[in-house]
Amino acid sequence: MPRKSAGLLIAALVALAGSLAACGSSGGGGGSSSSSKVLKVWWYEGPGSAYQIAWNQAIADFKKQHPGVTVQFSLKSFNQMQQNASMILNSSDVPDVMEYNKGDATTGLLSKQGLLTDLTPEAAKYGWDKLLGPDLQVTARYDSKGVMGSGSWYGVSDYAEYLTVYYNKDMFAKYGIQVPTTMAQLTAAMDKFTKAGVTPFANAGNDYMAMQYLYQMELSQATPQQVQNYERYTGSVDFHDAAWTNAVKTFQDWIKKGYIAKNSVGLTATQAGNDFETGKNPMLMSGSWWAGTFESDIKNFSWGTFLWPGNTLNAGSGGNLFVVPKNAANKELAYDFINDTLKPDVQKLLANNGAVPIAASTDGVTNPLNVQLIQNFQTLAGSNGLAYYPDWPTPNFYNLLLAQTQDLMNGASGDQVLSTLQSNYDQYVSSLG
Amino acid sequence: MADTALAKAPVAPRRGRAGAETRSRGPRGAGAYLTYLVPATVLFTVVIAVPLVMNVYTSFTRWTGVGPRQWAGLANYRQLLHDSEFWASMWHSLALVAAMAVIPAALGLLVAAALFDVIAKRFSPRVASLLRACVYLPQVLPIIVAAIVWGWILDPQHGALNVALRDVGLGFLAHDLLGDPHTALLTVMAVLVWFQLGYPVVIFMAALQRTDPALGEAAEIDGATWRQRLWLVTVPQIRPEIYVVLLTCTVASLRAFGWIYALTSGGPGVSTQVPSYYSYQSFFTNLEVGYGSAIATVMTLIILLVSVAFLWLQRRHAG
Repeated sequence: MPRKSAGLLIAALVALAGSLAACGSSGGGGGSSSSSKVLKVWWYEGPGSAYQIAWNQAIADFKKQHPGVTVQFSLKSFNQMQQNASMILNSSDVPDVMEYNKGDATTGLLSKQGLLTDLTPEAAKYGWDKLLGPDLQVTARYDSKGVMGSGSWYGVSDYAEYLTVYYNKDMFAKYGIQVPTTMAQLTAAMDKFTKAGVTPFANAGNDYMAMQYLYQMELSQATPQQVQNYERYTGSVDFHDAAWTNAVKTFQDWIKKGYIAKNSVGLTATQAGNDFETGKNPMLMSGSWWAGTFESDIKNFSWGTFLWPGNTLNAGSGGNLFVVPKNAANKELAYDFINDTLKPDVQKLLANNGAVPIAASTDGVTNPLNVQLIQNFQTLAGSNGLAYYPDWPTPNFYNLLLAQTQDLMNGASGDQVLSTLQSNYDQYVSSLG
Repeated sequence: MADTALAKAPVAPRRGRAGAETRSRGPRGAGAYLTYLVPATVLFTVVIAVPLVMNVYTSFTRWTGVGPRQWAGLANYRQLLHDSEFWASMWHSLALVAAMAVIPAALGLLVAAALFDVIAKRFSPRVASLLRACVYLPQVLPIIVAAIVWGWILDPQHGALNVALRDVGLGFLAHDLLGDPHTALLTVMAVLVWFQLGYPVVIFMAALQRTDPALGEAAEIDGATWRQRLWLVTVPQIRPEIYVVLLTCTVASLRAFGWIYALTSGGPGVSTQVPSYYSYQSFFTNLEVGYGSAIATVMTLIILLVSVAFLWLQRRHAG
């Protein structure tokens, strides 16, 4: 018996060692001959989203054009990919094309480390550089330091997104309020709502929303150059300038006046979306990515969107990118797939399901809500008004802004908050060298 | 991550002693028994030792998680010393030790004694078992599920708690408990006490069953009150269990992550930030992997020290 167990033990150890060795030897290696007929596509947009619907069409189109090629699609999560990016992209099991978040801390970081394919020649060959306007190219191009806005193409987005105001038409009618086109009109509308005991805006302090209100307020007084300096380190950034000082003052003023509920400080974006959907708040300022959700969820009142009044600069950018890993086995197929996502049929599906197609065409778009969403985007893109997002400049700005806006909502000194932002921002920029 | 290593660390000495015993049986026997240690040693190395060493190494570097690491010496630790968020998170950890170890152990002792001495005797042991199961129930729930449900209950506008308060005319007590920096940590602590209480109750009730009833009865005849019997007769008998509960709960509280992740994300501001969540944020959203590793390393050391201190105390009392 002992001899038998010793044998089993040795067998088990050999098996364990074998499997460990297999784990360790996954580096390097290109595609084998059989994989030359396979296109591996990864993304993380959830089932039922406009993106998934549209990109499934892109896969169908691709299959038609490449009858001999099998498409292997995997649904991932962003966290899963971000946390293992280095390991995944250095292994032999890389996708040929994958969705990845836009911005310095994500695609910029991967491009800087040489993990992505330079798509500049393809951008010219397929005409992507003409299809995407200058504002939308910013998030597609990264320089050698991984800073967006110039340098080579490392990704292509087939949709855009921006912050907009969603409003409850029934509640506006009930209180006799017109769609505001100036900040004064919006303020008057908010006063009417608060007098009636209704909190005008839904908000989420424990998520991305509160910082976006703050940023829109900052943008109302910022210049395009200030935005470039803030997002792309092209010049010095002073958080105690007029625009930021006004933003924290206005934000706290709105909390005090009850335009935004103080007790939204611990809420998440889902809860804020719910507050708008249930008619608790007549307005919500958030991303165009909510449109599809509201179209399917809201049945008992009619709603629409309007641009944040008074701003020529408005938060927004191209959407997430399709990137091609450096080790991808079938890059040519990947380029063809990316190009398919930009074709009119895919773009139309995006538009009809509540997303903003990158070509921003309203041709064949049936739902008037979607037409409005796209037209408002055209207005912004036409005036080069896209100003990206507040949390982009440094990797820790999301957490920092979230905590600082919560502090603002709870009555912290605006000056103190701006000083904290300044020191963190400066520290990061100096670490870039 | 490193903290998994810690929970297992105290086991190691016992394993060493087992090896020593086998060795005394002779060289041939020792060799055969040592073979049985190989799988555990391999697993320990792969799952605990190597990640721990890598974590400590990473804490001396600057790293975004992608690409090469840059040697930074003690820079991350120096930054920790001056980081107010880190120190705030350490203080909050102490609060969580109270909420997950001290308060549940004290309350658990009372509840266990009440169930064992009063409920089981006056009603029936089945009633006591049923109540024990009720108190233990939160421990069976996945933390994330329980935390999300508590998030709903505590929602300032539609949450069951505030709605119920308003409905019974106590609207003035309704409060944004998780949104107010003055109440957020206390609220998290209260939820943790609810969650943790069942564990000491179950352990202490099992312990009470092995105590010698004659001692309690003798004390009763001598005129000792219930409180005196609990404190002077029962507690000394179940001291080993008390140590085990305090040690495991303290280690669990230092690693508390799921509750913070799902309830508050460390906010509002940093008022409920804890080291494990701060380390996670540094790793995965702030892309300061070296800094996150430094936080994890410090927590590793603290948990090791706490474990060693408890084991030493326990052994001293046992001796």
